[in-house]
Amino acid sequence: MNSRDVYVYLDVVEGRISINSLSLITKARELAKILGGGVGAIIVGRDVKKLVKDVEEYDIDVIHIIDHPKLKDHDVISYSKAVSEILSKTRPEALLMISTALGKEIASRIAVRLRTAVATDCIDLYIDNYKDPVSGEVSEKTIHCIRYVFRGELSAVVASPRQRPFIATVRPGLYPAPQKIFGRKIEVKEWSIEVSEDDLMKTEVLEIQKIERKIDLSKAKVIVAGGRGAKAEGFKLIQELASLLKGEVGATRPAVDAGWTTPDRMIGLTGQTVKPDIYIAVGISGAPQHTIGMRDSKIIIAINKDPEAPIFKISDYGLVGDLFVILPKIIERLRQLKS
Amino acid sequence: MMSLNIIVLVKSVPDPKTPPTLKVDGSLDLKNVKIVVNPIDKYAVEAALQLKERYGGKIIGLSLGDHDNIDIFREIIAMGVDSFIYIKDPDYQRFDTLQKSYVLSRAIKKIEKDLGRVDIVLCGVESSDTNMGVLASQIGEWLEIPSISYVDKILEIKNGSIIVKKIIEDGFITLRSRMPVVLSIADTGYEPRIPSLRDTIMARRREIPIWKTSDLSLEFRETVLKTVRFKQIESKRLGKIFRDEDVDKMIDRFFEELKRDGVSLLR
Repeated sequence: MNSRDVYVYLDVVEGRISINSLSLITKARELAKILGGGVGAIIVGRDVKKLVKDVEEYDIDVIHIIDHPKLKDHDVISYSKAVSEILSKTRPEALLMISTALGKEIASRIAVRLRTAVATDCIDLYIDNYKDPVSGEVSEKTIHCIRYVFRGELSAVVASPRQRPFIATVRPGLYPAPQKIFGRKIEVKEWSIEVSEDDLMKTEVLEIQKIERKIDLSKAKVIVAGGRGAKAEGFKLIQELASLLKGEVGATRPAVDAGWTTPDRMIGLTGQTVKPDIYIAVGISGAPQHTIGMRDSKIIIAINKDPEAPIFKISDYGLVGDLFVILPKIIERLRQLKS
Repeated sequence: MMSLNIIVLVKSVPDPKTPPTLKVDGSLDLKNVKIVVNPIDKYAVEAALQLKERYGGKIIGLSLGDHDNIDIFREIIAMGVDSFIYIKDPDYQRFDTLQKSYVLSRAIKKIEKDLGRVDIVLCGVESSDTNMGVLASQIGEWLEIPSISYVDKILEIKNGSIIVKKIIEDGFITLRSRMPVVLSIADTGYEPRIPSLRDTIMARRREIPIWKTSDLSLEFRETVLKTVRFKQIESKRLGKIFRDEDVDKMIDRFFEELKRDGVSLLR
């Protein structure tokens, strides 16, 4: 292995390696091939040594592991310390991690520890030569990452031409699951760290509330969703329209908090991610926390009284006006069409 | 009653309603953009104000940038922060998150010298321009203190510890952390207050001291993350927006358009 290796951080979620993080192996191999390096994986946590057998047939050359009884879930400080320890000894070209809330926190802290670059929520990575705009100096075969900026209005290409490793967190679901190579033997390197009392007990978990997923909105062909503007009355109309279209009811976080519908219908950062054929947004302004969960829908229709509402920017069809006037008329029209 | 020293970080950004256009070389054309306070930072300000109302203390607003438009921070003062400091650096546009978080953490250290201690540093979960979401964690690491990102709501402060509800992928997690702590606040659990006319007028008279980064005895001055170019995202959406006083007419046109595009709502 040399310093042009690409590493992948394998997330441990509820005692198992997350499938999302495994998919990064596919991308890491693609980049490593061009760089002439290998693919490494990093697993840290408590009681994680037993997980090696779950990943040893994937397309990885070496697994670096820190198994320490004091590494607790959600302890950002000790996790970033452990990963940094491995990176500072091995110095790979880049570390790819999945963009979860926790992943981004760990990535950010690693970057400070190693005085290196971090880019979050990358939507793709590729290799190109980097030319410094001032000195004209060219860094050959540099990892570039594409990410959205300005709330998705622009994309930016960023690179870390000098500092290694480049820490990139990647949005989940971009790459296929990696190939298994049967009978493959991966090198396993175990590292140890000191976890002092000072590192610990700085944060502790008191409670975890998981939102029950009784309804899987990701399979719905049609979703009619309501936001703050819909009110309890509007949700009756939303329900009516959803049934008429054989679809499901969805909602934004404020609508769920207000009690107009149940939490399992929440779409967005805290809720589900959906891609229906038709998404009808009713009284939804289009805050990024919601749109992140629905912006890939095939057709988006918005009904909102505010013509400036950001939801219209990502809509195929928009109706500006009072939803309490518009919705009953649309329902009536559809009933006529149906009969 | 306990008394908290709170710093709230506020970023100035190009108005998200009118994002910058691009020059031919793929760099941002910032000449004509309107600079505003990063909208989500107001939720952090609100969280700070509610902490002060409940536990007492002092709130200092802190911002880093390169422009002279300090009047945009008066809205934050009018909301109720006790004082505001602006750090100005002509090289700011070249800074990456590592450099920004370093400069801010040095400034927090400097403020701490005057205040005795800082208990809580707050910021918004991410800025509307770079969308990175790393600031709270990076400042936490520079200062070697805990940090929690994506905080929905601060629940309680007791015996030198703070209890917060944090947003995770499939729900929420309640965490207890030692103080001092850095928290990034989401736009979910708070509703930023709108300052009164009286407070808005009062805020106009307040002085906003401007610090230079050269006063902060910086040892680390490097931008490691380079932006190569920007690109406009072409909207693949049809963007057919209907507006009419006569709602029936509007709905007629909407259904006609659906028909023309071959879209059927009924299945």
